[in-house]
Amino acid sequence: MGSLLQIVFDALALGSLYALAALGIALIFGVMRLVNFAHGDVIAFSVFALLWPSVDAVAIVFAGNLPWFLLIPFALAIGAGLSVLSEIVVFRRFRRANPATMMIASFALGFVIRYFLLMLFSSRPKSISLLPALSQPVEIFGARIPLLQLITIVVTIAVLFGLIAFLRRTRFGLEMRAAAENFTMARMLGVRANRVIMGAFALSGALAAAIALILGSQTGTANIMMGANVMLMAFIATVIGGMGSLAGAVLAGFLLGAVATVMQVILPPDARAFRDAFVYGAVILVLIFRPQGLLSARGTKERV
Amino acid sequence: MSLSVARRTIATPVFLGLLLVAFALVALAVGSKPFNQTIIDIFLKVIFVVGLWVFIGNSGVISFGHTAFACLGGYVAAWTTIKPMMKGMSMPGLPDWLMQTEIPFWASAVVAAGWAALWALIFGSVLMRLSGIAASIATFAMLAMVNSIYSNWDSVTAATSSVVGIPIVRSIWPYLIAALIAVFAAWAYGISRHGLALRAARDEPTAAAASGIDIPAARLIAFVISGAIMGMGGALYAHSIGIVTPDTFYLGLAFITLSMLVVGGMGSLSGAVLGVLILSSLIQILRWLEAGVDIGTTTFALPGGVQEIALGAVMILILMFRPAGIMGNRDLSLPRKAASEPEGLKGPKT
Amino acid sequence: MKRLIAALAATTCLTAPAMADDETIMVGFATAETGFMQAYDKPAQDAAMIRIKEINEAGGLLGKQIEVVNADTKTDRAEGAKAGLSVIDAGADMVVVSCDYDFGSPAALAAESAGLPSFFLCAESIKAGIQGVGPNSFSASVLAAVQGATMAEWSYNKKEARTFYRLLDTWTEYNKGICDGFDWMLPKLADAKLVGEDTFLNEDASIAAQITRIKALPEEPDAIMLCTMMPGAVSAIKQIRAAGINSMILNGSGVDGSYWLSAVPDLSNFYVPVQGSIYGDDPNPEVTAFNAKYKEATGGDPSTQYVYPGYVMIDVWAKAVERAGTTETSAVVAELEKMNGEPTLFGPRTFSSEIHHQNQARYLVVETNAGKPGVVDEWTISEPIPVADLMK
Repeated sequence: MGSLLQIVFDALALGSLYALAALGIALIFGVMRLVNFAHGDVIAFSVFALLWPSVDAVAIVFAGNLPWFLLIPFALAIGAGLSVLSEIVVFRRFRRANPATMMIASFALGFVIRYFLLMLFSSRPKSISLLPALSQPVEIFGARIPLLQLITIVVTIAVLFGLIAFLRRTRFGLEMRAAAENFTMARMLGVRANRVIMGAFALSGALAAAIALILGSQTGTANIMMGANVMLMAFIATVIGGMGSLAGAVLAGFLLGAVATVMQVILPPDARAFRDAFVYGAVILVLIFRPQGLLSARGTKERV
Repeated sequence: MSLSVARRTIATPVFLGLLLVAFALVALAVGSKPFNQTIIDIFLKVIFVVGLWVFIGNSGVISFGHTAFACLGGYVAAWTTIKPMMKGMSMPGLPDWLMQTEIPFWASAVVAAGWAALWALIFGSVLMRLSGIAASIATFAMLAMVNSIYSNWDSVTAATSSVVGIPIVRSIWPYLIAALIAVFAAWAYGISRHGLALRAARDEPTAAAASGIDIPAARLIAFVISGAIMGMGGALYAHSIGIVTPDTFYLGLAFITLSMLVVGGMGSLSGAVLGVLILSSLIQILRWLEAGVDIGTTTFALPGGVQEIALGAVMILILMFRPAGIMGNRDLSLPRKAASEPEGLKGPKT
Repeated sequence: MKRLIAALAATTCLTAPAMADDETIMVGFATAETGFMQAYDKPAQDAAMIRIKEINEAGGLLGKQIEVVNADTKTDRAEGAKAGLSVIDAGADMVVVSCDYDFGSPAALAAESAGLPSFFLCAESIKAGIQGVGPNSFSASVLAAVQGATMAEWSYNKKEARTFYRLLDTWTEYNKGICDGFDWMLPKLADAKLVGEDTFLNEDASIAAQITRIKALPEEPDAIMLCTMMPGAVSAIKQIRAAGINSMILNGSGVDGSYWLSAVPDLSNFYVPVQGSIYGDDPNPEVTAFNAKYKEATGGDPSTQYVYPGYVMIDVWAKAVERAGTTETSAVVAELEKMNGEPTLFGPRTFSSEIHHQNQARYLVVETNAGKPGVVDEWTISEPIPVADLMK
């Protein structure tokens, strides 16, 4: 019983991370059909922003020492800020470009951010003790799980409900949903395109920073490539969830987390190293049977 | 009809071929070993990007997965050209007949192309019914699967460990010839019945389907040909540095080749080749600057790491001003013909 | 037939690198100055430069000054081959290549085909040498397998560890090497038992599932052999301790250093094998003196033990050149292969015609207790790991 519950928690915690990241990618895809490959680098940047630039092995913690009630808003602001900045400087000029061009532009932007960090901090991972109190294990129904895992799950669920309320109840949210559904039409009906897109980037950046905080306190390191793996999984989740569908992205994020965790548990030791091959095989199967995604957004069907 | 198209468009591969020969001659004139290696590297990128173009350019479907075929090809080079004794140590699980095989490097490139084409056929027959972003992700999943298997299958691929003992070919000519083969093959496919049908399907899927084009089948043909070119490139890559590891053929290579294609212009073969030549030259110039250049009495040098940042920034700028890439779906051809090219190698509507 | 051999010999002479300048000896560094590997190559290269400076100040090698030429591999294999070719073109007598076998081998292979000796700065795979490059290639470090074997034997003898758990990060060959050494040693230890094993990937965001498996054991194992490296190592260690598992954790040298310890506050029961101590408590006072010299040259203390192989490398190579009386490859290689327990600042070094790497070495054991690392013991495995076992 205890161990089954443990597996459920493990799956939920990993799934939450993927879901949060997938949400960040789906939000931007929804309003401007951009697959944002710079998302992973925004995650890394948000962690490194807490450190003082130096190529020494020992990290000089700067904002990372703030008390939590300042640290969290600071990190979220950094993520949102960088994301909005990338919209203003780069993506605004790509509104009319085709998705492939935008995708490569976002990849190039991520490349710039990554090497900028590499130049300032060197590739050696920096250790950073974020919110150390969260590493304490807690006991729930016989499953002993780190407090952080629990918080990750709770935060994800809170963010989801917050977002739903935001999108349903506020004018801004309404505009954003309208834009996600049919951008041209929404624009004709008076939705302020730039504001909506900027809002989406800000939200997405803040979500990236939230992941950064979770990853940072879970792994205790800041590492140039820390966002890459999560971003790839999130990207996959966004697609199998149904591009543009926020609910689908979240659902698929949790599913991926669950599949990866369960594979680790049930595969025999010799096959465990091949875990990712099985996970990606499952992804292909899902795509073959539901190419439009698990929950497809109405606006993304191929129009004839 | 095909003959007249061939005559009208032959200028394109000839121009591109001459450009590649010019690069080789520069390497010959400079005569330095490291520079020679740089040009070899450029030719390899040309092969990869032209391979990508055959599928992406003609079908309009972005594939992240093609480096998987380069990986398959690279390991064919390892399986067929390493001395049997060394193979026995690093990859003991190979079947006996393969263990005893030792063929010259060009033969390994041919076998690699065939092996990659076979797997492209197998994967493609499942994946080609997908379109758009779902197809892109599915190809990525294919790459990740191949990478995961090759990174862990100890007895046959030596897992993440580098496979060594692949004969190194430092002469520039085999790479030039392979790049020329890739360019001409891509051109020939582009003007073939299948290539034209696939481009019609890319631009007007409904109309194309209505006029009897089997889109998945048309895509599959392009997928197999591009897989073969990538496989050949992968084998030659292995011969250029003498080792293979799975992570050589993973996301890094996938993204740099895709970037070269999009920056050059994925709508045309010239875009694919020029994208490689222009970005590679840019990288090389930035590297020289990084290493330091003497201007008068002072040495001017960029700080280390600026090269990558500048590369990314330039890519963004090029795409900002030319969203369809440098060539903007046009092909190099004789000026007179360029204006009147009704159904040649034209790119998608944007 | 004789004529053919003569012709071949003539061409080999022609292609042999021209001595750029007979007044100096040239060491070529084809290492990463930018990119991921830079953080690993640079410190070892700095240490190598210290040894070169010492030799030059003492009158040089064979009465000649040692000069250095650099080429950047950009942490890229294809660039690595180019970097190797450029230092060879510049007239290098010996080529130093990147720390990691995968990134260093293209340059080393270029040196090998030019008939020059090459040294990996700190690669710890058996392939970094004869087996993966050729008869003129060496590594300055100690095999990863020796680290795993050392930790197993030491913890068995000194810490009464009997039940072991093996957790392998399949990301790199280095990680697998540590676990291979551990696997080789374990059956030699009477009544030591492997109670479980699992794998993960360095980039895994969470290893919760793996930890759950450890926690499902009826009894916490005495020791966990953790075969991994940075950056995933910190994450794994942090998650293991956060889950309340207090078994001793055995590691490879890859996690040496105190720079990351703040991520796992009050870490205890944590053991790392090192070639020399960066913590100022090395049993050999000369190591501490070297640390001071390193700080003077670079402005910072060594951050991990991977600084030291760079120093050892120039040290043993220069000795071989001195003994051979020439920089000619076959003579230098022959002298290197005669070294048996050659004393260096960081323990004795042995090379033979069979292996150009250390398959047995003295290691210091660093224990981290309440977040404070310090040397507690030293250990040399009871027998060298046979080459046949390393090659499988």
